Amino acid sequence: MSILPFRIRCASAAAAAFLVCAAFARAGPLTVTVFKRDGKALPGAVVTVEAESQGAPATQPIHATMDQVDLAFVPDVLVIPVNSTVQFPNSDAISHQVYSFSSARRFQLPLYRGKPYPPVSFDQPGIITLGCNIHDNMLAYIVVTRASYFGHTDASGKWTLPNLPAGKFRLRLWHPLLNETAEIDRLVDGATDGTIEIWLSRNLRPAPLTGRPHSWDY
Amino acid sequence: MGLLRLRLGVAVLMVGAQATAADWQLSLDMRAVASDGRESFLDNGQGKLRFDEDHQGIRLGRLRAALDQPLGEVFSAHIEASTWDDDDKNPIDLTEAFIEYRPYPRAGFRSRVRLGAFYPPMSLESRATGWETPYTITPSAISSWIGEEIRTIGLEGQVDWLGTRLGHSFDLQLTAAIFGWNDPAGTMLAAHGFALHDRQTTLFGRVGAPQPDPQFAKKELFHEIDDRPGYYVGAQVRYLDRAVLNLLHYDNRADPTVAAPEIRDFAWLTKFDAAALRIETGNGWTAILQALVGDTYIAPNNFWLEWEFDSQSLLLAKRFGVHMVSARYDEFSVLFRDNPALPGSEDGHAWAVAYTYDPGRQWRFALEWLQVDSTVPQRVIQLGEPAFASETKVEFSARYSLSGTF
Repeated sequence: MSILPFRIRCASAAAAAFLVCAAFARAGPLTVTVFKRDGKALPGAVVTVEAESQGAPATQPIHATMDQVDLAFVPDVLVIPVNSTVQFPNSDAISHQVYSFSSARRFQLPLYRGKPYPPVSFDQPGIITLGCNIHDNMLAYIVVTRASYFGHTDASGKWTLPNLPAGKFRLRLWHPLLNETAEIDRLVDGATDGTIEIWLSRNLRPAPLTGRPHSWDY
Repeated sequence: MGLLRLRLGVAVLMVGAQATAADWQLSLDMRAVASDGRESFLDNGQGKLRFDEDHQGIRLGRLRAALDQPLGEVFSAHIEASTWDDDDKNPIDLTEAFIEYRPYPRAGFRSRVRLGAFYPPMSLESRATGWETPYTITPSAISSWIGEEIRTIGLEGQVDWLGTRLGHSFDLQLTAAIFGWNDPAGTMLAAHGFALHDRQTTLFGRVGAPQPDPQFAKKELFHEIDDRPGYYVGAQVRYLDRAVLNLLHYDNRADPTVAAPEIRDFAWLTKFDAAALRIETGNGWTAILQALVGDTYIAPNNFWLEWEFDSQSLLLAKRFGVHMVSARYDEFSVLFRDNPALPGSEDGHAWAVAYTYDPGRQWRFALEWLQVDSTVPQRVIQLGEPAFASETKVEFSARYSLSGTF
């Protein structure tokens, strides 16, 4: 670890940068709150918590959906356990051509409307960037994870795991607008029942523009 | 074996075509116009506006039909047809028609090839369907001129490096094209200079009404005269979806000594460099800066005549949901090098302010005020009018669009 891209600190110990403060008491809820550099909460950050020990029970794969509505992928970020499948329906009246050249899963769905293709399976962890070959403004991500626990931060930048068992876990954070080049990950102890705050050290990239009329950039 | 392969190929194409039906669009854009413009360049005058004093009231802005037809997985055909109702040669005609090859991106790169008739990638304001600007009714002097005189009829290749799909903040694009059938490009700049109008010259049409005077060109732009292809090369850098910088060098490589009596014109050797920058912010602001500088030549009997031209524009727009307010300033000039006082030289600028209301897929309303001030010596010589003219137009546009699939 060279340059630490973000700081984790206890809510009660503001000066303790790069430190995970924990109660080391018992298994219990874990609350992660993510703040941008300007101090505002960051919603939509993907938090994954993966057991460090081998043989941890794998999360059951799911069947998820990444829709295309009004020239946008819905949702813009989808988190799925490894070995899950994703259906890519096109709910627009016009055709789309979905592709990924991310190393975790390369695929392409030839020009289509409706739901003509079987779901795509994702058997490698990683971040898959989706695009439409016809509409370059369409951009979305699939986060494939081995983690037992994962979720998004809410509007107040918070994600709560109701019950994290005792033991060592790796907590990872990802957001499409993060400028950090190094992967953001830290060890946490499952005995922690405190609140973890993550303060990003760099500004986010500008969010994609929304609400432009459909007739633009045809 | 070859025949079998061909049959298989055709069968695959047909399956693809059946699986992906054509998208069509139809739109009718009606205008209400109040104008004190001089006799329009479309009627062989020296006015800068599409609708002059004699063309006020309810007018047809544009009747447009477009078709996108996928041909298999990675090919598609695009056709744009329009009616402008400006005494053109054909009541309905094409503005663009091309086949596009757009293979899947691979390892961060994507190529794209277009074959047919289309616009070179240079206007960052003409981003709406039908090569229209969504900010105003009337595009900038630069875009007006491109729509009037320039069309690529040939082959264009593009390569994109899709950095934003690899976790970077930038995308890059390089473009190169080879084309023909645009040798008269430049003739309108010498005849009436820049104009501010939303009328695009059609592929088989001409610029407005017929020219009755046999001394003047027929105003038909899309002809091959000297059998020498032209080219352009361009580059584009995009920062996320916030900023775009576009550069283009264009040279139609026409042989200016060659005449084309059938259109009473010459091959105009036209070269230009164009730069455009568009910046959009998260709170609805857009700024578009455009610049164009070039030369055009003819050489009847090897006697070379040169016109220099340049134009700049700055547009600022603020979007409030479905409402948008825009303001633009244009500067333009043409200099006839051999004698600035003789026909072909001009100097001018224009202000435009527009409000657009775009409530959904079907209707769009726009209101625009446009003033063009220009000094054109040709007005004195040809029309016995003062060289300076200030022309003002207020125009309301109501556009109804339909789209669907076959």
